[in-house]
Amino acid sequence: MSIYSEISENLQKGKAKVVRALVEQAVADGCPAAEILGEGLLSGMNIVGEKFKKNEVYVPEVLVAARAMNMGIDVLKPLLAEDGVQSAGRVCIGTVQGDLHDIGKNLVKMMMEGKGLEVIDLGVDVSPETFVQTAVEQDCDIICCSALLTTTMEVMAEVVKKAEEAGIRDRVKIMVGGAPVTDAFCQQIGADRYTSDAASAADAAVELCKEE
Amino acid sequence: MTNRERAMRILHYQPVDRMPAVHFGYWGELLTEWAAQGKIPKELAENNWDGSEKDRELDKLIGWDFNWQNTVGADNGLKPGFETKTLEVLPDGSRRVQSWTGVIERVKPGVTSIPSEDDYILKDREAFETLYRPKMQYSPERVNLEYFRHFNETRDWDRPVGLHLGSVLGSIRDMTSVIGMSYLLYDEDEDLFADIVDTYAEMQYQCVKAILETGAKFDFAHYWEDICFKNGPLLSPEMFDELCAKHYKKRNDLCRQYGVDVISLDCDGVTEKLLPTWFANGVNTMFPIEVGVWGDQFGPARKKFGKGMLGVGGMDKTALRKDKAAVDAEIERMKRLSAMGGFIPCPDHRLMPGTKFELVQYYAEEIKRIKP
Repeated sequence: MSIYSEISENLQKGKAKVVRALVEQAVADGCPAAEILGEGLLSGMNIVGEKFKKNEVYVPEVLVAARAMNMGIDVLKPLLAEDGVQSAGRVCIGTVQGDLHDIGKNLVKMMMEGKGLEVIDLGVDVSPETFVQTAVEQDCDIICCSALLTTTMEVMAEVVKKAEEAGIRDRVKIMVGGAPVTDAFCQQIGADRYTSDAASAADAAVELCKEE
Repeated sequence: MTNRERAMRILHYQPVDRMPAVHFGYWGELLTEWAAQGKIPKELAENNWDGSEKDRELDKLIGWDFNWQNTVGADNGLKPGFETKTLEVLPDGSRRVQSWTGVIERVKPGVTSIPSEDDYILKDREAFETLYRPKMQYSPERVNLEYFRHFNETRDWDRPVGLHLGSVLGSIRDMTSVIGMSYLLYDEDEDLFADIVDTYAEMQYQCVKAILETGAKFDFAHYWEDICFKNGPLLSPEMFDELCAKHYKKRNDLCRQYGVDVISLDCDGVTEKLLPTWFANGVNTMFPIEVGVWGDQFGPARKKFGKGMLGVGGMDKTALRKDKAAVDAEIERMKRLSAMGGFIPCPDHRLMPGTKFELVQYYAEEIKRIKP
């Protein structure tokens, strides 16, 4: 079994310390950082994401796999920067103003990172202005908004409006998700994409970045 | 016929004169909103909890018959709980607060959303043994025996009263956060999470036993779990079954020995994948069946499990924010579900801000016209 397969398999089992040790070993063996990332860590996280979409694994398995992935990425980060490895796209993400519940948002973030996207986490209770300002200043491809409550999902419409006012809608896509959000709501407010689960959100984000 | 008789007869497939108008309480913000609109007296918007005197006053004003979540039970949480204290005030005004369960939450004044879980104490065996296990022990002061010995003389016999059985996994999740629960399930001490569940469950069982032994009579028993979300359970059904099934069975068997045969369980989210464990181990009443936000359903459960599966809930509460036509459509749907028997319509969770007072009154009036 190649070291990349070993990294992938241990990541899927959530064995964070083993993943870190294997990544360190791969680096010591002279494997390129981009290859370790793509064929080891992201490959493993992709498999977890696909299984999550099919309900073959659940939230705990995603969380422990993401923890393992992050331990591996910590080792690779300086090397990836040195090699000038580009991310697949840049996303800013947060729960909308008035909403502090962030489990869903965190799962989406993990899945997106597992697809090689750079994710700027704005945290919770994020105002429409902050979403738009970050997208402008950080040159984001996507704004990703999460809401748990029917009372706060309306803020997503405001994010779309502010993005239009800022004149960035031609280059910044807006994704929406969360418990009460539906595809119909997404279309109603003029956002670009709704997905029903975290893994699909990551797939959609990669697609949207490729479109640009 | 009293509302207690109506409800319990429906849940036992016996004829009744009409459907009772049942609810599941309100978000505090809605009561504040209604008070500001002059729909209800201001005092009813404050300190109003399930089954309280104020809740009953509001029932009369609206036309409800009763709140299903009218339960009593033991002091069956962490004892003592952790000190609730602010650990840090952040630049945006939000606060990191240690809750009574030991989870560090992010809260913000003026924002009433479910908090963000920042951190937690229950991370390893040492934390469990030194900080949590001692707080999870049964002791006689957890049950007010005097109250329960006289319960049958003092309880309301006109509406159903439930025995709260606690929780098997939801409370543990509250102590660890979702992330903490996930890590504990997979960390090196493989037995730790099961130890936590077993310890807490045994204490809760002892509490239930002590109450039932007093001779107190209940119409139903009730759990709270909240262990599902939009796409199903928060952990695999197999893992859930392995950890929890035996505890449900033990508590539910005890209830049945004492004649309590309606056992409901409050779980938000899409519950379908956990129903087999609950049903096989004695839970027989789905509640509140969140159709509106999460798309949970009673019909498929009835089809799968047969008449042994009862339901209280299932009415899309978001219709009560819309208009009469939306409410009428829900009432028609409730009529169809009620015709199957063993089902009592109830808004599928607490009524939320923006709910129209007059529509709730209208719904409560119309639902009573259903003859199951």
